[in-house]
Amino acid sequence: MDKTIYLLGLNHKTAPVEIREQFALTNASPDQLGLVDRKEDIREGLLLSTCNRVELLFVGSADGSGEEKALQCWAGYCQRDPERLRPYIYSYRGLDAIRHMFTVASSLDSLVVGEPQILGQLKDAYKTAVDCGLTRTVVNRLMHKAFSVAKRVRTETRIANAAVSISYAAVELARHIFGDLQGRKAMLVGAGEMAELAATHLLATGVDEILVANRTLSRGQELAQQFGTQARAVCFEDMFDHLPEVDIIISSTGATRTVVQAREVKTILKKRKNRPMFFIDIAVPRDIDPDVNQLDNVYLYDIDDLKEVVEENIAQRQDEAERAREIIEEEVDKFQLWLRSLELNPTIVDLFDQAESLAQKEIRRTLKNLGDQATPEVEHALETMAHSLSKKLLHQPVTFLKRRAREEESAQEFISLTRRLFNLDNESVPSESHAFRHKQGND
Amino acid sequence: MPFIRTFELCIIALYLLATILYFTGVIRQRNRLKQLAQTLAVAGFGLHTLDLGLVFFRPGAPAIVQGQFYISLLAWTFLAIYFLLWRKLRLEFLALTAAPLALILFTSSMAVTTERLAVPAKLSSLWFGLHVGTFFLSIALLAMAFGAGIVYLYVDKKIKTKAKLSSLNKDMPALTSVDQANRWAVMLGFPLYTLGLFSGFAWARFTWGRIFSWDPKEIVSLLIWFLFAYLFHQRLAMNWTGRKPAKLAIWIFVLTILSLWGVNFLLPTHHSLQP
Repeated sequence: MDKTIYLLGLNHKTAPVEIREQFALTNASPDQLGLVDRKEDIREGLLLSTCNRVELLFVGSADGSGEEKALQCWAGYCQRDPERLRPYIYSYRGLDAIRHMFTVASSLDSLVVGEPQILGQLKDAYKTAVDCGLTRTVVNRLMHKAFSVAKRVRTETRIANAAVSISYAAVELARHIFGDLQGRKAMLVGAGEMAELAATHLLATGVDEILVANRTLSRGQELAQQFGTQARAVCFEDMFDHLPEVDIIISSTGATRTVVQAREVKTILKKRKNRPMFFIDIAVPRDIDPDVNQLDNVYLYDIDDLKEVVEENIAQRQDEAERAREIIEEEVDKFQLWLRSLELNPTIVDLFDQAESLAQKEIRRTLKNLGDQATPEVEHALETMAHSLSKKLLHQPVTFLKRRAREEESAQEFISLTRRLFNLDNESVPSESHAFRHKQGND
Repeated sequence: MPFIRTFELCIIALYLLATILYFTGVIRQRNRLKQLAQTLAVAGFGLHTLDLGLVFFRPGAPAIVQGQFYISLLAWTFLAIYFLLWRKLRLEFLALTAAPLALILFTSSMAVTTERLAVPAKLSSLWFGLHVGTFFLSIALLAMAFGAGIVYLYVDKKIKTKAKLSSLNKDMPALTSVDQANRWAVMLGFPLYTLGLFSGFAWARFTWGRIFSWDPKEIVSLLIWFLFAYLFHQRLAMNWTGRKPAKLAIWIFVLTILSLWGVNFLLPTHHSLQP
């Protein structure tokens, strides 16, 4: 029965882009990874992979053997040497893993703190895991908690307001320039992750078409495919032929010198009859000649400008982050209490406690109603009856639980079920969680 | 005529309220206020139309020899053009130009005494109607371009200098749609202005027997026409977009207003509205 929550991962703080690219698990389901195996110890798992992070969450036996296995599976799936991955990852257990999950969900661990996208990605990851039938009591509960913690952090602190993400800022600026983005064309020069994020936002706000110009055409095509029918890849060399028809350019190449010069933009402007252009230069070192901003009808923002534009009072933001962390600590404590209650004995004790207090309450009420008729003998008889009734009523369920506890497989679920059936935790369950339970019935 | 007076006071009150509500609505970012302002402006505009009709068809002294009528008509044209642009481009920002201008003009039309003008007869000819109508329409269009130009320069500066996102009002129209207003004003306004100018010359030819009489108003109007022609050409042939046409439109409108007020009221001219 001894099990622990594990979390293995890497993010933009621990690993450089190349490593993140090599070990990305985009579009992989936990099933394909072969991490969760019903016969072995790891029975629940979840896999989150975004442009800035990979997180593997699973529940395994407390001896820690699962960690090594997860690392092997991960590197194996990427067809690379696990030793190459090892220096870049962090691994958490138990409370630390829970805390990390909550922190990620609340977007405190994001590149742009407070950006809302991570929660959606996490929800998708959870949905995939649920669809594969890889989640059970602990992961289900942990994820639902993570979502509600994220919601609490969002509503109770101003972290989300303050940290409007960079790509959001880019879209807002584009709106101030072009108004409705419908019918506009955008181009990605280079296929960086931030650019991808900004492009996703642009598409979501109605941009018609996205062109992807990458040095390696195949990578560009791959990226274009991700955006669906609205995107297509073009040759990097042909970039300037396409620029006159493009309104928004997001550049993030690894080039050491500027790719687009001011005088080139001047000719392009002439070709497009001075219709405005918006350059977003996310690359460091920069891709686009800063002088471009001096031209009429051309607007250029680099990554620092964008950060500057969304930057609110930093001190205030740190205060908000501090408050968010307090909320997370509070929730971690609550989760820990719940985890403990999943063990059999506390549950039986809770059950009897509940029955006992109910019996006492009823005895008091009956005695009050009887008034003078309640002689000491009557009182004694009543107490005996109430107590034995409550014990006998619980006898069958407790025997059932004890028997199930010997079969490792289902113990936790039945304990959890019992706790909910008798409402031992005195909580109100959010209505949406039932929908998830229902879905799970299929596995 | 006391009935007409209360009528006109009503119009002034409606325009004043609409102007105030437009401004507070924009500053406070309240859509309800702006909608209310729009409704009041429409109501005022309706009354105004009625008022113009009443004055025009009033028995006795013909309206068209009174200065008051023209100023009131110009105020009316401002709003008419605004409503047209609002329907086409949804640029409610232009209300910030149209409403106060209509208010000021209409109020000053009340201030101009109802005395007859020393305007020559034969005013009712087609040329004269064309002259006044087209000029007023193009001036109203210029007023819109003026408002749009100021908004354009403001937003453009904020974006160019990378001002904080929070300092950019969310309801502010986008640069391209403001530029569109400028485009409209130039594309429609210049031909109208030209028509106004030359129908004036034609009328002068028939009435006074000479096309050009070195009247200060004529000189200033011709100067404005050259500037307007330059703007028209640059927009059409050189694809001027954004800041440059915005700035030029602002200057042209300022000159037009100066010529309207300054020349008409202060200098000796046959366009004089002086009582």
